[in-house]
Formats: sequence, structure tokens, C-alpha cells
Amino acid sequence: MKQSSVASTRTYFISWCVLLALLLLTLGSAFISLGWLNTAINLTVSVTQAAIVLLFSMHLRSAHPTLRIVASIGFFGIAILISLSLSDVLTR
Amino acid sequence: MASTLSPIAPQFDDAAQQRDASNLGIWIFLATEVLFFGVLFAAYTITRTQHPAAFAVGSRLTDLPLASINTALLLTSSLTMALGVHAARSGERRATVGWLSLTVGLGVMFLAVKGLEYHADYVEHLVPSLNFSYSGAQANEVELFFYLYFVITGIHAAHVFIGVATISVIAFMASKNAFSPEYFTPVDLTGLYWHLVDIIWLFVYPLLYLVSRS
Repeated sequence: MKQSSVASTRTYFISWCVLLALLLLTLGSAFISLGWLNTAINLTVSVTQAAIVLLFSMHLRSAHPTLRIVASIGFFGIAILISLSLSDVLTR
Repeated sequence: MASTLSPIAPQFDDAAQQRDASNLGIWIFLATEVLFFGVLFAAYTITRTQHPAAFAVGSRLTDLPLASINTALLLTSSLTMALGVHAARSGERRATVGWLSLTVGLGVMFLAVKGLEYHADYVEHLVPSLNFSYSGAQANEVELFFYLYFVITGIHAAHVFIGVATISVIAFMASKNAFSPEYFTPVDLTGLYWHLVDIIWLFVYPLLYLVSRS
């Protein structure tokens, strides 16, 4: 499980700029009436932001596959928890 | 090479193996943290699908400007943390201490803004079980939103507080020359924890503050 290439400080600054731009995008989009699309846009932006932090700040991009699998377990857990709970609530 | 903490524990072959073990350990811990918050997000999702109108009302009663400032503060603190870890990896002691202290400062600012927000909620009688009073329709369902709001933001704020305390200790250790390019695991792992707290906020922000703003 060698940690190979290390992100340069430039990568961190670029991801910071992108993260702030995405914050403005999600904030701005909330003021436009789009119905269910509002929530979809907000959550897509959140997932993108989380992916940027995970891949670059938390170095998963250059991490060993074992570490990536372990990192994804929690998120899979949430996906199962929410989707199975909703399959009950929404079909009553 | 002036590291004062013993660089390699006896059960490990070399520094790389030790670092891998530490990384695996912290990621397992972070996965449990994700699940911990996942339960709250699941409760939120189910309650919101049942009472969408009340959640729209509740969300509009939260303080969007303060929450947006806090999001920017946390994103920036994630940058300074990443730069702190990078400096520790490069063996730059002063830069490490500087970036970590800046991260602590941004974390404290986040908590201060959170305090302002909670104070305003208290003044506006929005705190369930304490002084909640809302005169519009679906008052009970709006109160349900505020229960979730306080539990989710409260537990997240507790994580920020723990992060601030931990980073302060790490910054102090760094100032005492405890780390080197061969051994900077505590800085690295604290950074991972801090980034995860940031990620959780990235979901809290739209789900609690951005519902039905148009």
C-alpha cells in the first residue's frame, strides 16, 4: 500500500477555487425556482464537492485500492440505508 | 531527522508499512463517522418526504448568509489543513505550525458564527423543547425540522470542536519539532478527520439551509 505521487500545493489551490465556485453555484441555483431540480442540483454539487475533497485533499486519487474500498464503505452504507428506508416509506 | 517521537513502532518493518496501517485505521474510523451521520441524513430524508411543505418553511427560517459564510470558512480551512500536511511532509516546521494555526483560527470562527446563529434561533423562539413557538400551519412538523436542524448541526459542531482541539495539540507538537518527513502521521490523520468534517458540512448546508429559497 505505497502512497505514490503526492498532490502539489497547486492542486490544493485549484480545488479550493473550484469548491468555492461550486458553493456559489449551489447557492445561486437555490434562488431560481426549478421545483425538484433545485434539490437535484444542490445534491449533485455536494457530491461533486465531496469527490474533490476525497480525491485531492484526502489523497484517495493516489491511494492504494484497499484504502479506496474502505473509504467507500461508509458511503455505500448510507446509500443502502436511505434507499431501503425510502422503499418502505414511499410505497405505503 | 530530529524527530523526537519514536519513528517506527516494533511491530512494523518500516515507516511505509506503519504509515499504511495508520491510514487504514483512520479510514475505517472515518467510515464509521460517515455511517454515524448517515443515520441522521436518513432520518432527515424520511421526514422530509413525509412533510415537504413544513421543511420548506423551516429551511426558510434558518440563517442562509451565516451558513454560507460558514461553508466558505470550512472550505478554506480544508485548504489550510492540506497545506499544513504538505508542509509537515516536506519537513517545514514553521510553515506546518503556521498553516495548522490558521486552520484552528478558521475552525474557531466557524464555531463563533454557529454560536451567533444559535443565539438568533433562540431569540426567534425556534429551539424545540426550550422555547419553540411557530404560529403558522404545520407547527409540529416545522418543529420536527428544527429538531433535526439542531441535532445535525450540533453534532457537526461537536466534531468541529474536537477537530479544533486536536489540531491545536498537533500544532503544538509540530512547534516542538515532533514531526519530520519520515514521521508526520499525526498531522496526516488529523487532516483526514478535518476534511471529513468538511465533507459532512457540504451535505448539511444544502439540506438544511437551501430548501425552497426561490
